[in-house]
Amino acid sequence: MTFLQFLESRRDLVLAQTLEHAIIVLMSVALATVVGVGIGVATYRRRRARAIATAIAAAILTIPSFALLGLMIAPLGLGYLPALVALSLYALLPIIRNTVVGLTGIDPALPEAARGIGMSRLRSLVTVELPLAWPVILTGIRVSTQMTVGIAAIAAYVGGPGLGNQIFSGLANLGGVNSLNKALVGTVGVVVLALAIDGCLALLGALTRPGRRARSAASGRRGPLRPARTPAAVSLTATGAHR
Amino acid sequence: MTDDVMISLENVSKRYRGQKAPAVENVSMTIRRGEIVVLVGPSGCGKTTTMKMINRLIEPSSGRICVDGADVTSLDGTELRRRIGYVIQQGGLFPHMSVATNVGMVPKMLGWSRRRIDERVDELLHLVGLEPGQYRNRLPRQLSGGQQQRVGVARALAADPPVMLMDEPFGATDPLTRDRLQNEFLRLQEKLQKTIVFVTHDFDEAIKMGTRIAVLGERSRIRQFDTPERLLAEPADKTVGQFIGAGAALKQLNLRRVDAVEWNEAELMHRDESPTAVLRRLDESGAWAVLTVDSERRPLRWVGPRDLEPGQTSLDGVGIPVAVVEPRATLQDALDAMLGAGCGASVVVDDDGRYRGVLDIESLMRAIRDMREVERDRDRGMAEAPPRLPRQSDGSRDSASVRTLESR
Repeated sequence: MTFLQFLESRRDLVLAQTLEHAIIVLMSVALATVVGVGIGVATYRRRRARAIATAIAAAILTIPSFALLGLMIAPLGLGYLPALVALSLYALLPIIRNTVVGLTGIDPALPEAARGIGMSRLRSLVTVELPLAWPVILTGIRVSTQMTVGIAAIAAYVGGPGLGNQIFSGLANLGGVNSLNKALVGTVGVVVLALAIDGCLALLGALTRPGRRARSAASGRRGPLRPARTPAAVSLTATGAHR
Repeated sequence: MTDDVMISLENVSKRYRGQKAPAVENVSMTIRRGEIVVLVGPSGCGKTTTMKMINRLIEPSSGRICVDGADVTSLDGTELRRRIGYVIQQGGLFPHMSVATNVGMVPKMLGWSRRRIDERVDELLHLVGLEPGQYRNRLPRQLSGGQQQRVGVARALAADPPVMLMDEPFGATDPLTRDRLQNEFLRLQEKLQKTIVFVTHDFDEAIKMGTRIAVLGERSRIRQFDTPERLLAEPADKTVGQFIGAGAALKQLNLRRVDAVEWNEAELMHRDESPTAVLRRLDESGAWAVLTVDSERRPLRWVGPRDLEPGQTSLDGVGIPVAVVEPRATLQDALDAMLGAGCGASVVVDDDGRYRGVLDIESLMRAIRDMREVERDRDRGMAEAPPRLPRQSDGSRDSASVRTLESR
């Protein structure tokens, strides 16, 4: 059976697993975004606090995924929950770090001006600082998502959902009928899914760039503007190696 | 007199943790309603810290600060700052918000209705000379530096606060733009009569903007707190003198306008008169030269006895071209014009360039002597607030938009 024939015969199953895969990735990244942006916001003003936060997140990232997923079994059992928790933990670092970089990278005159005209800390954060840091934060979210799509495949090991099940079952009977096809379907599926989600996030970034609305309103008069350049994305040095 | 005080600082100090010397030590000053007080001093002297304690961007460590009779520490800092205008270098505009959103920010926080905010934004943009239809929806980066600064001023004025704090507001603009912004702002201030604390390190700017100037030293110690005129005439000590820099007397010329001093009359003669008539007039009047004018009484040239040669039949091209100044120019402009023309007199002309009088180097000297005498008289006990000398800011060209704001 060729790869395509195999794919055709298992279409429904593969689609379902891809969907499951996407859902667990998006859920864990969403969870990590809430927690990570929260930690970033809470720590970015203090040098010591933000160093500790990023160090812990970086340490988590260095735990091999097999090990972390395995360790989750004891408190959380098998299935969905340990996978979700482990993936969220992995997704934290880029989001925390980019939140901190994004917020500290803002021209300090702006939060100062915001306070000077009578904004509270919270209002300044919500209306001025976070919107300006958003492109950088979103870059962190994209890095996290890419990473999580890959790691999520391993979640099948603890009974998690997704394309990992194809890969594991393929690898378990290498040499058997269709085992290579299974592994291939899982792997290609993961790559395609990663690209698709990243494309969606890139689109989201373009739609939510700060000042976009005002720009389009004024563009008729001044001609098109160069897109706002987002500050250099924080590259994630620790990814990949641990898998 | 106490009703007149808008801001008062009493023995205000600021100490930062981990620093031995206080950043600001024991500063006391009172600022009257409607005046511009400039804090000027070398960088790092604590002038900005002093200013920021007024709206509690920085909390004073000790001392008392009152704004409009209320102790600022008894007020909620955020509420306080909404009632005090705040302008920083380059305006501090939020880059992701349109000009209108930036300007309408404080009214929005104060809970104004959408319509009232929109109207106010348009009114303010008019006031600072930006056409609302054209600029309302722009982003700050689509404006020039000077325009951003104007928007910054508009934002600070949005809720019509009685007090404004300005931290080197025109610092980041080129000299030409800065000059224009300063003039515009002074014109605005004549109408608005805000109480303004203005921080700068540029002494010339201080002289130009200040009703009174506080020259600050280390730890914001007040070395001298005086009107620009007094400061230039009598610096309190050597350090202040050094800070004022060379040419204090020359800078004084910036404080007075041509229409505030006495002019002389020149012997006018039409350009078509004959050289013989000129010689006769020079003889009769004893003047050093006659001023030739055209039929509209616009001055052309100075013609002296030596410019005329025997046998000459016409006055065309004879003599030295005149230097002209407008009545609203500063004495410095007049002196500049004289030096440029190589002639000890400038002709004062009206808007259409017609002759109105002559300002010569002697009247200029007399004006300077008068200024000194006024200062000396004032020293002898007339301690109450002296009347201000005419300023170079131009209040006569008030625009319709300024009137709108007043009639509000």
